Amino acid sequence: MNRIGHPVSELALVRLNEAAPVIGDTAMETITETIITESSMIGHNPSTPAGAGQAAGTLIFLENLESAHGGECYIVVASENYSYEEVAKRLNSCHNRIQIKGLILQADEAVLVENRLEFQIPIVDEVKHIKQVPEGKLAAIEVALPGTSIRMLSNPYGIATLLSLDAEETRQVTPIAKSLIGKRSAVVIRTPHGNVKENVLPAGEIYFHGVQETRVSIDAGADKIMETLAQTGNITDISGQPDTNVGNMLAGIKSGMEKVAEGDYDFIKITDILAVDTMAPVMISGALAGETCMEKAVGIAAMVKTRQLPMERIAKKLGEELGVYVKVAGVEAVMASLGALTTPGTKLPIAILDMGGGSTDAAIIEENGTVRTTHQAGAGELVTMLIQTELGLNSRVTAEQIKKYPLAKIESLYHMRLENGAMQFFEESIDPRYYGHVVLLAPGELLRIEEDLSMEKIRLVRREAKQKVFVRNALRALKEVAPAHDLRNIPNVVLVGGSAEDFEIPEMLTEELANYRIVCGRGNIRKTEGPRNAVATGLVLSYLGSLPAEEK
Amino acid sequence: MVVNKPSIIIYTVHAEPEVLREICAGIEEEGVLYEVIDVPDSTDLKKLACEAADASILGSGIGLADRHAIMQMRAVPEDKPVFELHNTNLAAYRKLGANSARAIKKLPFKM
Repeated sequence: MNRIGHPVSELALVRLNEAAPVIGDTAMETITETIITESSMIGHNPSTPAGAGQAAGTLIFLENLESAHGGECYIVVASENYSYEEVAKRLNSCHNRIQIKGLILQADEAVLVENRLEFQIPIVDEVKHIKQVPEGKLAAIEVALPGTSIRMLSNPYGIATLLSLDAEETRQVTPIAKSLIGKRSAVVIRTPHGNVKENVLPAGEIYFHGVQETRVSIDAGADKIMETLAQTGNITDISGQPDTNVGNMLAGIKSGMEKVAEGDYDFIKITDILAVDTMAPVMISGALAGETCMEKAVGIAAMVKTRQLPMERIAKKLGEELGVYVKVAGVEAVMASLGALTTPGTKLPIAILDMGGGSTDAAIIEENGTVRTTHQAGAGELVTMLIQTELGLNSRVTAEQIKKYPLAKIESLYHMRLENGAMQFFEESIDPRYYGHVVLLAPGELLRIEEDLSMEKIRLVRREAKQKVFVRNALRALKEVAPAHDLRNIPNVVLVGGSAEDFEIPEMLTEELANYRIVCGRGNIRKTEGPRNAVATGLVLSYLGSLPAEEK
Repeated sequence: MVVNKPSIIIYTVHAEPEVLREICAGIEEEGVLYEVIDVPDSTDLKKLACEAADASILGSGIGLADRHAIMQMRAVPEDKPVFELHNTNLAAYRKLGANSARAIKKLPFKM
């Protein structure tokens, strides 16, 4: 009221909407895991390995070079206690006596050592846990040429060639080869029992309780899960197989809801889920240099119907505090649709899509006044979770910011390249801590991405996450409310709510829905408000509409 | 001064040898060339670092006096050095050298 310069006491009536009694939550579970039994590989991306090519030899620590046998091939392992000069000197001095085929360093000094060696070998550096390298074992080493990734060690037959493996052993090293794809340098160690295993976790089944009882295994993938969900129809509850990942996941969501919904556990029912396939970089257990492997994962957003929220109590409390009559006046989705109708260029029947944090809500009003609404699980928070998982971010806040703001790369202290290719210059030189980093263009400030991720990669993950969640859910929700469940029966869709203000989601939906000849765009409530205030506008309109004609 | 190699210029004034060696190692590990030029009469290290950056055709330079090191990039104001180190550990000087090379490679600085 301050903004329009009137006291609160001049208000005659405050109208509240009845909020949708649904709460959304998300969970993520990996369904495969990679375990190294006995240290048998190194595969990472040091910024500056040296040399190029591949070789095989017996592992030997630098301090034990004296005991090396002439004529045998060796890969030398040096800890950071030895300086680059010391390492180079020792290797040069015994190069004539034994054959040195490769070098593994703990310090970031591969180029420094290479420049001082009298012979050329592949050198891998920045191997953190160098003491765990098993001495005396046969190993293969490979460093890729600049700009390429390794070729021999990411190929099972390449490993077989270098380490002379038989067919059975080659089959066993296949997961190693797989996890080394795309690396700049690698070492594979031949250990009698050592292996890299890919386990498929007992991910479990999801049970749908509805018109019919159906079940689907989570390994079947997101598409199959969503298909089964659609077949089941009128879902009353969704649960998971006890003592499996998905069982714990859904139980976790329910118990989390208990607190918010103030309801007892038995009353809380999951009425919708959205499942999305994803990949998550997970640290390989037993790794020597902090290697990660992309594991299959599934993200699930679930929606819980709660008892009616205590709206009357809220209204009473607000009335007491303001000293104004407060009335609970209408259902959120209906009010939002009425408000959306004030967007220029719309007519009945009109559909709205309200995509918030936890759920995607759709409503339609037809010419004869029929209203249909739906609430679907999955919206902004699931997108945030997908971004966080796929990029391997530590902080959820960073993922949230990546979702919200466009990207740029600081290319010099005086300019940055925006994600659309444009260039922007600074008046004064920028803080050197931003130099070379990918940043987010938040209003009034630049946010630095700490992780070593390219702008292209972040952009791809962000856009895919939005496509997977928002576009898919928009179609699902609109189909639910459309006359005869046919999207083509909806002439126009107005986007309202938080996600309608996103810098790219409205365009994605406009493009997708154009395929169904639907006019879809960001709402512009009362020609001035943009996608905000649809519900408030609807509440005022419905009040005006209910007055007798002479008072209007 | 005529400089025709694409290298980082390091101007030194009575430089501490072990510090200089670390800075050079940092640059070398990043695979960039450098050139050390002794200018014993200079007094203003900030100015010297800027001159080094200007003299380098890559636009990255270092001024080193005793154990005081400043890394500069071309067109950065003299009073706002990109990095500045005084009497600290050798690993920090190695990093400063690496960062002068990373400035050219347009990679984020090591912090």
